[in-house]
Amino acid sequence: MTETLDPSKRQDITLVTGVIGSDTHIVGNRILSMALEEAGYSIVILGALTPADEFIKAAIETAADGIMVSSLYGQGELDCRGFRELCVEAGLDDILLYVGGNLVVGKTPWEVVEKRFLDMGFDRAFPPGTRTPEVVEALDRDFAARARGKRTADS
Amino acid sequence: MAEVLSPDSVASPLSEIRIPDDEFARMRKENLARWPTGAGVDFDAAVDYHKNLPMHKRLAWVMRRADAEGRTLTQPRGGFGTLEMQRELMTTLDREGLADIVPTTTDSYTRNERWEQAQHGIEESKRLGRSMLNGFPMVNYGVEDTRRLIEAIDKPAVMLTGTAMPRLTGEVGYAAGYSGYLGSAIAYTLSYTKEIPIEIGIRNYQYLDRLASMYLEHGVEQHRRQPGFLTGTNIPPCIAIVTAVLDVLLAAAQGVRNYGLELGQTLHLIQDAAAIRVCREMCQEYLTRKGYVDAFTPVTSLHWMGAWPHDDAQSAAIVAYGGTLAAVGGAVSVTTKSLHEAFGIPTPEANAEGLRVTRMAIYMARSIKLDGLPEYEREKEVIRKEVRAVVDKVLEMGDGDAAVGTVRACEAGVLDIPWSPSRSVKGRILPARDADGYLRILNPGDMPFPKEVLDYHEERLRKRAEKDGMPYDHELAVSSVYEISEPLQALAPFPYVQEAAE
Repeated sequence: MTETLDPSKRQDITLVTGVIGSDTHIVGNRILSMALEEAGYSIVILGALTPADEFIKAAIETAADGIMVSSLYGQGELDCRGFRELCVEAGLDDILLYVGGNLVVGKTPWEVVEKRFLDMGFDRAFPPGTRTPEVVEALDRDFAARARGKRTADS
Repeated sequence: MAEVLSPDSVASPLSEIRIPDDEFARMRKENLARWPTGAGVDFDAAVDYHKNLPMHKRLAWVMRRADAEGRTLTQPRGGFGTLEMQRELMTTLDREGLADIVPTTTDSYTRNERWEQAQHGIEESKRLGRSMLNGFPMVNYGVEDTRRLIEAIDKPAVMLTGTAMPRLTGEVGYAAGYSGYLGSAIAYTLSYTKEIPIEIGIRNYQYLDRLASMYLEHGVEQHRRQPGFLTGTNIPPCIAIVTAVLDVLLAAAQGVRNYGLELGQTLHLIQDAAAIRVCREMCQEYLTRKGYVDAFTPVTSLHWMGAWPHDDAQSAAIVAYGGTLAAVGGAVSVTTKSLHEAFGIPTPEANAEGLRVTRMAIYMARSIKLDGLPEYEREKEVIRKEVRAVVDKVLEMGDGDAAVGTVRACEAGVLDIPWSPSRSVKGRILPARDADGYLRILNPGDMPFPKEVLDYHEERLRKRAEKDGMPYDHELAVSSVYEISEPLQALAPFPYVQEAAE
């Protein structure tokens, strides 16, 4: 039985959302932001066309606990390279990093894509078509695990 | 700051008036100096090149001809990060896909005029042997290299550029031999950008339209095209058509006379056919009112632009049906997607397959039309009322000037776009699908639709809320975003399992 966060604790957790790079696909990210807000998390919404360093700047300014990166246009692989390193440089060594969307150019098996992004330092990667309850559930489990000093529920 | 603004944007007060010759010469000089390949643009040589292209490789002529003959042409999308990959893609689409119009989509760095980043993307694509860019970086390659793509195909080529900053891409592409350019001020600035003010987008596209009309003055008709599919997310026909009318007025004022209008499919046979017909009709109505009587405005229908299912079989149905919708609706061309749409950018082969599926559907649609069908006639009348109410208000706000009116209407929320990333609009309008599958307006924001029309929309949507057992609220809009991408098991399961077990 995996431990999960008490929903009343969600408001103490701040998450930054946005679409990375030169990508304008805002719809899924907006629905995700709405769902996270409705679930009770504190959300900082950066919207479309957000450079990597703006995610990090916003995370520092709001003392965020996690960053949720969306990418739909295929160039996410270039945009996300070095994202974890930028976080570490900024002193956000352990910040929770999620990424999701259509992350690469072309139809590639999800396991391959997922590994690429986990290797880049993301804690979780979500395939296209993921619905919002699944993300909320993962957040709840990961933040419960973090309260016990683990990095994520799966680590 | 995520986006680069144009440097020469504050010359004169914004208006729809045609850019004077001397002013335009100065603007071109400045524009072409922004990246080294700009120096490779030779206008006179480009005019000669186009005049020597066979007619069937000139999109303006091909669109006119297809319209006169009642055909529906096919065109895919497609762009890769290097010249070699792009050439292979275009020849595959031409030969294997039987595409009537061959595309070049530019990558998102190029769209945002981040040419240094695009250069890095080219190098990484070459190093890794797979495209790291989601399109072809046309400006980085320049006129001479890009022309090799035109030489590789035997069809007209169109630039698909998804940008509010078309000036250098347009110069390079038209000079290279592309004869069509998809993009417009209102549609792209309000759907594809966040920070760029609508005024800047209008000025940038006035440049491109002025360039297209300069070709016309030199005896070469170029095709321009408006991406009325906007954010591609449940756009009700009236919203698309309002932007089409305003964008075509802006283009006509610069001298453009061959201007296509793209509408994303709602996936409702009657609503799509009504939209296609009324779009052209409304554009012509307002063009005539402004004194432009000789503009050609064919309509293109686009395969579903929202979220796709992750099942190739379901996707195949949307692709095939999209051919039917375009042909029955009387679109002059259809822009296709592939069975891989849910997974991102398709391989050339999958892209070609989407074209052939669509082509067969068009063939089977024969000459079937809906004229006289009461529901079709009624839907057309609803759309006309919606469009006229908004366009009249926008023009009134601009004292008759479409450019000024658009800027003011965006500020006031009179012109609004669903699911827009742009800060230039209020983004309050919310569409949803009704119980019969029509896209309706759940919340009009501040758009001035007639009350009787809004009552009609509300009645239809309340019917759906009741049918689905949902409250009448924004969840209707959110579930409409996902609907088409849901698995068949959720959309249309075998209906009798429960009863049989009892």
